[in-house]
Amino acid sequence: MPRSPSAEVGTASASAAGTAPGGRSGIGRLVPRLPILGNLRLDRRLGWVIPVFIVLVTAIVGYNARTTAQERGSALVVNIAGRQRTLVERYTKDVLLVVDGFQADPDKSGAALHQTADALLDGGSVLAPQGNDLRVKIPPARDWKVRRKLDQDRRLIDELTRTGDRLLEGGRADPGYAAGVTQLRVLSAQLSSVSNDAVGEITKHTEASLSRLVRIEIALGLLSALAALAMGLLLRRAGAEQAAQFRSLVNNSSDIITVLAPDGTIAYQSPSVQRMLGRRAADLVGTALGDLVHPDDQHHVIVSLTKLVEAPGATANFGCRLQHEDGSWRHVESICTNLADDPRVHGLVLNIRDVTEQAALRKSIGDLFHNLARRSQGLVDRQLELIDELERGEVDPDRLEELFRMDHLATRMRRNAENLIVLSGVEQRRRWSEPVPLHDVVEAAVAEVEEYSRVQVAGIHDLTLPGQAASDVAHLLAELVENATSFSPPTTRVEVSGDPVGNGYVLEIEDHGIGMSDAELVEANKRLAAPLAADIAVSRMMGFHVVGRLAARHGIAVQLRHSWFGGVAALVLLPAVLLASAGEHPAMAPPVPAGGVVSPDPLLLAEITGSGWQQRAYLPLSRHAAPAPHRGGDTDPAAEAGEPVE
Amino acid sequence: MVWTRARRHWAWALTLVPAALALAVLLTVARRHEPAPPGTPVNVLLDDFHVRQDAAVVPTGTVRFRILNQGPSTHELNIVRTALAPNKLPLQRDGLTVNEDAPGLDHLDEAEGLDIGDRRTLVLRLAPGHYILYCNMEGHYLGGMHAAFTVR
Repeated sequence: MPRSPSAEVGTASASAAGTAPGGRSGIGRLVPRLPILGNLRLDRRLGWVIPVFIVLVTAIVGYNARTTAQERGSALVVNIAGRQRTLVERYTKDVLLVVDGFQADPDKSGAALHQTADALLDGGSVLAPQGNDLRVKIPPARDWKVRRKLDQDRRLIDELTRTGDRLLEGGRADPGYAAGVTQLRVLSAQLSSVSNDAVGEITKHTEASLSRLVRIEIALGLLSALAALAMGLLLRRAGAEQAAQFRSLVNNSSDIITVLAPDGTIAYQSPSVQRMLGRRAADLVGTALGDLVHPDDQHHVIVSLTKLVEAPGATANFGCRLQHEDGSWRHVESICTNLADDPRVHGLVLNIRDVTEQAALRKSIGDLFHNLARRSQGLVDRQLELIDELERGEVDPDRLEELFRMDHLATRMRRNAENLIVLSGVEQRRRWSEPVPLHDVVEAAVAEVEEYSRVQVAGIHDLTLPGQAASDVAHLLAELVENATSFSPPTTRVEVSGDPVGNGYVLEIEDHGIGMSDAELVEANKRLAAPLAADIAVSRMMGFHVVGRLAARHGIAVQLRHSWFGGVAALVLLPAVLLASAGEHPAMAPPVPAGGVVSPDPLLLAEITGSGWQQRAYLPLSRHAAPAPHRGGDTDPAAEAGEPVE
Repeated sequence: MVWTRARRHWAWALTLVPAALALAVLLTVARRHEPAPPGTPVNVLLDDFHVRQDAAVVPTGTVRFRILNQGPSTHELNIVRTALAPNKLPLQRDGLTVNEDAPGLDHLDEAEGLDIGDRRTLVLRLAPGHYILYCNMEGHYLGGMHAAFTVR
């Protein structure tokens, strides 16, 4: 029995696999959450290598920045210290010029000398080497050797300026002039020597720092390279382990994973297809999926996939049958995700599960339903037959009224049995093909309802339905009409009317009852649009499920909405393909359900029924003016006898 | 007694520490008994701007000058044999450094580029005579960095 396919297209659920494995601690627990790593699961070792790598790189960058800043300062200090010699010479020259009566400013050059010496030793601002009265800050000397030499430098400058001052005060006439000049020159020479010495020391210190920087950077670089290498190896191993794990899962899964290319061919096939379909994965790659799908299922598979292709990221569920290598058919359920936008997949990913056993189980349960329902149906048919005979022979109005009530109760019981047959999924056997007037179908549906007298049929156009659909449409309408009469006050009427529309014909069943809430309407319309397989939920809204199933068989749309009068209006859109004007055949025969049997005999609708529809379907509104019933000749004798049907 | 892992470690430690101490003592004693290097030792201290030695007269023969620069600037030490007075050495034309090639100066040896704290030893075989030790860096000699020295 083909399973009723249902395609549900929705947004793909982003249930990303968790990446934080248990048992981690410290930094290692945080690392696998780095976005750059995606879903890659890392082991503990890698969890520590990455922080070490990051620390090393940070140390290199930080140390580099710090040392570069320091060396920049050192270069400036070397430059300023080198200038000391020039300043000493200028001061000496200025002093001698002034003593000789020339114009010079030894105070200014002496002050510059002191200022520079102080700044070199203790830090401070001095005139920049490039001049233009720019000042630059230099750091204090840190190295003890440099500090001692600069300190000596400062002492010598003090002595030099004191000697200069004495010469300036005494002039050439002073008896100590010659000795003073000599001392000035000696001090100047000593200062040059000491300054050069200090500059040499600073330069040596700077070179040592640079050399240390290079060594440390090389060491850190090597460590970083090792860390990067270890990280790369561990990442590669983690990736390989994960890939192996994934391959193992895919290969040993009972499900099969198929990736469909945009042209519908199989781009990837997991090896587990061998177990499910007896085919080699390599043989399937490049072939069309449609070649494996049962011809009866191809239409809805194509429809489902076509819908899905238009919605990137969405998922769709559908069921179908796939052909085993040995020719048998396997029932499968597929969850399909559109990953066409994912460059790593670029296709539709199908997760296909073999549900042949479940399908067989469902079929056996459906068959059980069907058999039980047919037994009940057979008994009720016999009961109705008996009641009909009693009604015909009865003249007492009171007794007749009681018989009518029994008749209706039995009719309802029969429709319940029919509902079970519909829900079992077993197609009803049909033995008629002649078109049936739509008006008669509507009247037959109304006649099924206990409170038929409250139903007013008006404005049904002169159209016919194909015999194959008439029974199901009448059943469908009867359910809706009964729903309307059941949920509206006994004093109100239920109106059934029809109206042609662009794409078919709309029958409207409108009541004046208590109505339904918005939520109830939504739920009911959902059930009507997509009836579920028989389960516990069906029992709560069985009528709607039956209507939904019957409608789905013939492409009929049924929708409930609020009535203007406060009740509910059920709209039944019969598609144009089902309809024909009286005397004509429909332009196109409705789809014959798989497994259904169409009798070549043009029997009347009233004569059918292996599955339930009886002659009473032809009862007009005035029930007892109906023609004599013609019991369907094909009724299963076992069912008629109330015996189990094989 | 059960020899646990911890006890074994302690036993090793108690054995090794005395052994190491004994070795250190032996090495120290052996060093003290090393034969003294030949020559008369003369300790020379350099600083800004002085030369000081602990002996002004030494016997003829090998002399070991153990030089220590106390800074604060870099110095050098030249040893010349001359009959001139320590402060009367001939100068270069710049008038700031000694002319080491001038007649009357017999330049024997030198220790150059002595940074603060540097030690250097010069070993010379000296004949009897008058010698001068001086630093010939710019202005140092004129600043007073010289000392006389006699070998008898």
